[in-house]
Amino acid sequence: MAEISVRNLHKEFGIGADKVVALENVNLEVGGHVFVSIVGPSGCGKSTLLNILSGIETPTSGKVEITQEGHEAAPGYVFQAARLLPWRTVLDNLLFVQKEQTAETRARCQRYLEMVQLGDKGTKYPGELSGGMQQRVGIARAFSIEPDVLFMDEPFSHLDAITARSLRRELHEMWKETRKTVLFVTHDVGEAVELSNRIVVFAKGGKLEDDITVDLPFPRDPADERVAVAKAQVLRKFEELDLVAT
Amino acid sequence: MANVARKLSAPRRGVGNAFWSFMKSPGFARMLFPVAVILFWLGAMNVIISIWPFMAEVLPTPLEVWGAMWDELIDPFVDGIQAATRANVYATFGRSLIRLGAGFAIAMVLGTIIGLAMGLSKSVDAFFHDWVMAILAMPALAWALFLSLAFGFGHTGPILTVILTGIPFVIVNIREGVRNTPRELFDMARSYQVPQQRITRHVLVPSLMPFMFAAVRYAFSIGWKGLVIAEVFGGQDGAGWTIKFWYDAHRAHAVVGYAFFFILFAIVLEKIVFDPIQRRVFKWRPQITNLQLVEKMFDEPRLALDMATVADASAQPDGEGDRIDG
Repeated sequence: MAEISVRNLHKEFGIGADKVVALENVNLEVGGHVFVSIVGPSGCGKSTLLNILSGIETPTSGKVEITQEGHEAAPGYVFQAARLLPWRTVLDNLLFVQKEQTAETRARCQRYLEMVQLGDKGTKYPGELSGGMQQRVGIARAFSIEPDVLFMDEPFSHLDAITARSLRRELHEMWKETRKTVLFVTHDVGEAVELSNRIVVFAKGGKLEDDITVDLPFPRDPADERVAVAKAQVLRKFEELDLVAT
Repeated sequence: MANVARKLSAPRRGVGNAFWSFMKSPGFARMLFPVAVILFWLGAMNVIISIWPFMAEVLPTPLEVWGAMWDELIDPFVDGIQAATRANVYATFGRSLIRLGAGFAIAMVLGTIIGLAMGLSKSVDAFFHDWVMAILAMPALAWALFLSLAFGFGHTGPILTVILTGIPFVIVNIREGVRNTPRELFDMARSYQVPQQRITRHVLVPSLMPFMFAAVRYAFSIGWKGLVIAEVFGGQDGAGWTIKFWYDAHRAHAVVGYAFFFILFAIVLEKIVFDPIQRRVFKWRPQITNLQLVEKMFDEPRLALDMATVADASAQPDGEGDRIDG
């Protein structure tokens, strides 16, 4: 089981008068087969946290660690835009992030493309696919390195409602099947309640304000009364926090 | 709508229809162009000669020009002037091409190095910026005159002219390419811990390619024009020198014929060198065929309608969204 550990994490951008605090003294422990959503308003440091965890950015102070049975573990990352290499085919995009490029990894990549229903699109270029399909490729890429930990940064926010809904269902199935630890950034509370065991709430200024456990059975139907109640609770918390923040 | 579409696309039969569809085709329009040019040429000649009769001595007819070109192509003798005094068209363009190739290669290598450095470092950019602008502003004619004074007749002047006229375009394009590298793709690669060598090969180089191509095209065509001017002043052979030779010999039809060789030379290079390379390198760029365009226009409204129906059917009381910020 993978463990994510964030201790006293602090991140600032700029210097002097332009200084912006993105994350302030954040502590977070996530482990096992859980789906954790990180919610909060724009500019609350949600994405910065994922970028620091994945090594794209470095923290100003504090420590982050992702371990799998004592060893450092590599995450898979699904971005807001698919971030595919437009000049490589779909299958080559998956191969690009593999440690080794053997026949075996090729077969694995093909398997994950089939899992997101794009098994026949491996030879296409990203420009030939729709936005939803591109995002599916991004998801397949993240799963294809068989990571223990998966980061997702608002992966469905660019998509139309119907595509987003079907992709959420697919994602839930894949999470159930592969038993990964998922950190999922979103600003859609409904999405967070539908998908996660745990919701971590960030406020403006990068403060971790609340940590809510959502104890409802999967799959969760947005029309289900219990899901609607849980969502209303989170939204109420948000209103309270906004009052606190301002 | 389907019925209308079917009627529109139904093939028309008969010789008359085939004739009209040929007349309307882009291929026919393209064929018509040279005919129009020749008619205009002859018409304009008639008008000019009717005003200034002495122009009949100077202005060449299309047939005379073609004759001069044909003689060059099949025979090193033109108008009885011995080939010993000058090379035929193949050797002439061959020599110019070697100079162009040499100057172009040097301009590409140096320009890429300087452009990369300028894109990566602000101080290097500040150091070279004004120099690049100054060289860019200098006319090819000024380089050609100065360099033939400095180096006399031979290869050096023309090659240096190619380098100096072409290099600013390489520098500017490569610098812009480096500045426009897709940061989000590098971040993606880094988050997946992709080795640096693979990032360079599969992210950096392909993202520079469109800029590299623009650099090649500009450097080549601007360098070519620079070379021709340099050969007029500082050459003893080559395409520029030869057109000057015919000018000095007062053979207008040969001058015009040689100008056509320049055009042919550029078109041939474009078709057999640049086009195939570009098609290969930019295979990934989406190219919408006419058929796809039609499908898109007809299918998209229908698809949107289907999706709206599905959305209605599965509409939930809370819907999507409930975003907490704007």
